[in-house]
Amino acid sequence: MSLSHSALEKLATFRVNNTRASQETFQNASTVLKSFKRLGDDGWAVLEQLFLASVDVGRLDVADECLRQLGKQFPHSPRVDVLTGIRMEATESPDVVLEYYAQLLDADSANAAIWKRKISVLRRTGKIEKAVEELLQLLDTFYTDVEGWLELADIYTSCNQYIPALQALSHVLLLAAQNPFYQLQFAETAYTAGDIPLALKAFLVAVEMSERDLSDKSPPVGISVRAWLGVKLCSRRLLLNSSPSASNTPVPKNLHLIEELATERVLGVYSSKNSASRAPEGRDVVVGWVGDR
Amino acid sequence: MSSNNAVSLYLDPQIRDWVLFPITLVMILVGILRHYVMVLLQTPPKSLPRAALREQRALTRSQVLRATSANSPIPPTYYKSISRHLSEAFDAGTYLKDGPPKEGDTPKMPPNPMTDPAAMDGMMSGMKTQMVMMVPQMVIMGWINFFFQGFVLIKLPFPLTLGFKSMLQRGIETTDMDVRWVSSLSWYFLNFFGLNGLYRLILGGDNSADSSRDMTASPFGAQAQAPGQAQDYSKLFKAEKDNLEFSEGIYSWVGEGVEDRILRRYGKI
Repeated sequence: MSLSHSALEKLATFRVNNTRASQETFQNASTVLKSFKRLGDDGWAVLEQLFLASVDVGRLDVADECLRQLGKQFPHSPRVDVLTGIRMEATESPDVVLEYYAQLLDADSANAAIWKRKISVLRRTGKIEKAVEELLQLLDTFYTDVEGWLELADIYTSCNQYIPALQALSHVLLLAAQNPFYQLQFAETAYTAGDIPLALKAFLVAVEMSERDLSDKSPPVGISVRAWLGVKLCSRRLLLNSSPSASNTPVPKNLHLIEELATERVLGVYSSKNSASRAPEGRDVVVGWVGDR
Repeated sequence: MSSNNAVSLYLDPQIRDWVLFPITLVMILVGILRHYVMVLLQTPPKSLPRAALREQRALTRSQVLRATSANSPIPPTYYKSISRHLSEAFDAGTYLKDGPPKEGDTPKMPPNPMTDPAAMDGMMSGMKTQMVMMVPQMVIMGWINFFFQGFVLIKLPFPLTLGFKSMLQRGIETTDMDVRWVSSLSWYFLNFFGLNGLYRLILGGDNSADSSRDMTASPFGAQAQAPGQAQDYSKLFKAEKDNLEFSEGIYSWVGEGVEDRILRRYGKI
């Protein structure tokens, strides 16, 4: 039985968007093992996808079969080496896996994919310092790797080191300047670090970026909601007690107006006029919090 | 006798069957053969070691920083710290493949292609392509000269001046035959330049049978490039340091005045 057309399309979308919907992928693609030759070049990509999904789901037998087929077709391929490494990570001890990666990196010291897997194994086994060291080296060589910088920021944040996390995020912002999600992450990290003026500015920038195409004054949707909530949070805190900014960011002048505007926008989202019949969830909580003080 | 514009020669049709088509066929096949030989001969590009790759990509760091500096997404403190760090690194040469130059080192000589293995490889592959291109050409020209000499093959559809007579009618020593009647060697040349389109159709755009490539590349071109690249980096880094200073001058944060913009947008100001 070959895959239906819609299943193939869905798998292709997953590949393009890098989605990790492993259970769904596994269900859709498990029939591909018998008929992948018919799919031509795409068949190998689907096989790789199925491999990753089955490792994620826990079906190592299916994963082994996929790996065997891929290894037969593409011997000595660096991409298949990465998959072999992933399979080893599922069952072998970390030391064995790290040795395997060290061997591969000896042969080709600039193999970014293997390097990243090594770093992820180091982080997973708790060797955070070594992981950070290796990650910094990787990012020194492969500067444009946004994923790597995000991972670095994540590691720092998990260790409560917010200033280095902000530095890592600033590289992310440079590399993906048009992405409001990263600006929001920067703002929230700044807030957690205690740098409220910087956080306020960053939330406002996120708002500006995400509401750029909004023509009428319709209530905020999507990421703007979170950004406006952040603006409200920061402005309220600044009005109550001025906090020093580690980055020497000046406090905006019209703080009252900003807070008013933020209140309006947030209430606009939770207004019962918009939704069909019932008020949106959490409305009472938000109204209570927003209206308070 | 007056010029023979009105007279036309009548050629043996066997000339067409046994010379015209075979020459074209042989050239097409040799071209395809050349392409596949090149594909087989080409070694896969060697992956650079970490240090060399890092050196090559070091400039992108400052370029990324400078690209958005007029509307930079990062606040001033962060921008300045990155800019300063990069400036210092470029100055000290930390991104260079062999590390920062130590005290008392003589300035690096551009690596001699004979001694530097990396440049040598580049030259060798360049020379290999030259050989593969030239040898079949010589062979075919010799073959045509030997077998298909001494008769006219075709009449060119366009007129030419008398200067071309000696070249195009080699082997046929007449004084007043129209220059438009040419020998088989010139048919070879016509094919040589004209089959590129056909190769592009059969072999795809990027084929090695294309003769227009050979004309532009030359063995001396390959030599001039290789030593140029290696020494470039320290100079490039110094130049980039100046660029960083300029960008710092025009730097401006997006967050500067964002609150006023938003307040104005919603009519609060």
